[in-house]
Amino acid sequence: MIHLTSVSKQYTADSVGLADVDLSIEAGEFVSIVGQSGTGKTTLIKLLIAEEKPTSGQIEIGGWDISRIRQSDVPLLRRQIGVIFQDFKLLPKKTVRENVAFALQVAGEPHKRIKDIVPRVLEIVGLGPKMERYPHQLSGGEQQRVVIARSLVHRPKIIVADEPTGNLDSINTQEIMEILKKINEFGTTIVLVTHNRDIVNQLRKRVVVLQDGKIISDEQHGKYHLSATAV
Amino acid sequence: MYSFLRIIRFALQDIVRNIGLSFMTIFVLVLMLLSINTLLFLRLVTNEATTSIRDQIDVSFYLSPEATASEIDEVYTYIASLPEVTQATFLSQEEVLANFRILYHDNENILASLEELTENPLGATIVVKTKDPADYVTVINDLNVPEYETIVESKTFTDTQGAIQKIDIITTNVEHFSFALTVFFAIISFLIIFNTIRVAIYTQRIEISIKKLVGATNWFVRGPYVVESVVFSVISVGIAMSLAYTSTGFLDQYLGVVLGDPQFLTNYYVSHILSLAGIQFGIVFFLTLISSMLAMRRYLRT
Repeated sequence: MIHLTSVSKQYTADSVGLADVDLSIEAGEFVSIVGQSGTGKTTLIKLLIAEEKPTSGQIEIGGWDISRIRQSDVPLLRRQIGVIFQDFKLLPKKTVRENVAFALQVAGEPHKRIKDIVPRVLEIVGLGPKMERYPHQLSGGEQQRVVIARSLVHRPKIIVADEPTGNLDSINTQEIMEILKKINEFGTTIVLVTHNRDIVNQLRKRVVVLQDGKIISDEQHGKYHLSATAV
Repeated sequence: MYSFLRIIRFALQDIVRNIGLSFMTIFVLVLMLLSINTLLFLRLVTNEATTSIRDQIDVSFYLSPEATASEIDEVYTYIASLPEVTQATFLSQEEVLANFRILYHDNENILASLEELTENPLGATIVVKTKDPADYVTVINDLNVPEYETIVESKTFTDTQGAIQKIDIITTNVEHFSFALTVFFAIISFLIIFNTIRVAIYTQRIEISIKKLVGATNWFVRGPYVVESVVFSVISVGIAMSLAYTSTGFLDQYLGVVLGDPQFLTNYYVSHILSLAGIQFGIVFFLTLISSMLAMRRYLRT
């Protein structure tokens, strides 16, 4: 599903994002990417959604080589990946329903399909009764659920979550993780970038540890630790 | 088709949901258009005033009372054939005398002197108008030939030469000033609009990047701004032209006295309403569109 081959990203001479990274993530996997700040986790996310291009190496997503993706093809890639950010990135002047619908509207989906599917997805994340509210009228956990609904609505094969619980309390964190686990059970590949030791340890799924832009550990049923135990 | 209709809907939603920003943008556009209209009025009035003054200037050639009909006819034909001359009016001896009597109707001494004379002492007159005040010199020079020396008794040119030169200098200066003012206003308008739009786009930069992150194409992000430019242009042109039209009625009360046409500005505005609206819409739309495209470019790179 996702294959990185010798991928490096160098911003300046002394600023390395990723250094010669090889990583393969198969369809349906739930992979946690952990590591201290500045180890290249966010760079990895940016490369996966083509916000950045690698300095060298090859990135393949679903058989599509996006290493040298054309600017005009970037929207097509992003419509196939659901992205969840720590800071939610909701459109403040659009309601919950409109925010979720927007992901389908940019893809040119017909009005009738949008009208059918959006309320259903919002029901799944428990926001059916609040769909006409604006983001500022919701709690942090509710906003993150809107983001999950938006990332799910076009049925992506991959969801990339960059610190999705970073701004949430423990109860909301648990709720969001439960939703992500459910999504994964339906076959969606999840790439989770997090600092949260507890959620990584509870998941007992694959854990990839990054340090100084390199993978220092990759365990199939790993726990959160920042030192190399297996590569 | 779906996308196009959505873009229109998003634009209208943005206008309503960012009502403060929309109001500020329209307000600035209206101010700029009012400046353009003021400049237009200024040019119209100065052009009309200088044209009116130029029209009042003419050169009279006073012919000798002894000149024969064929000599008079020859001079008149010659003057009328000159390319610089737009109008040559012939006044017979009788008409000149009648005008003279009207001019001095309250001067009993002059009228009594005329009565004493058995013959009309005044010769015929040819009143000449040219395309340009500067052409009077050419016409005078053309008539300064020995054949016409005895026929043309005098000219009024020397009396009006100074006035003509002054008017020429004034009108040329007014035109230069008006052109410089237009360029100045154009630059100021562009800077004001560019910065207004840039601020508007800056406040929406995060939204633009979010739209890009969920897979919107550049066109899908830009589209609503293009539609908003159209809406802002239509509204601002409508408001500015309504205000300008209202002010024409007010200004005409004062200008009518000077220009001789009590509805000079109003008539001009009404007769040119479509072209004025079209040009102003074109300017505003072009400026807002270019400004938004330039301001947005950097936020579309993500």
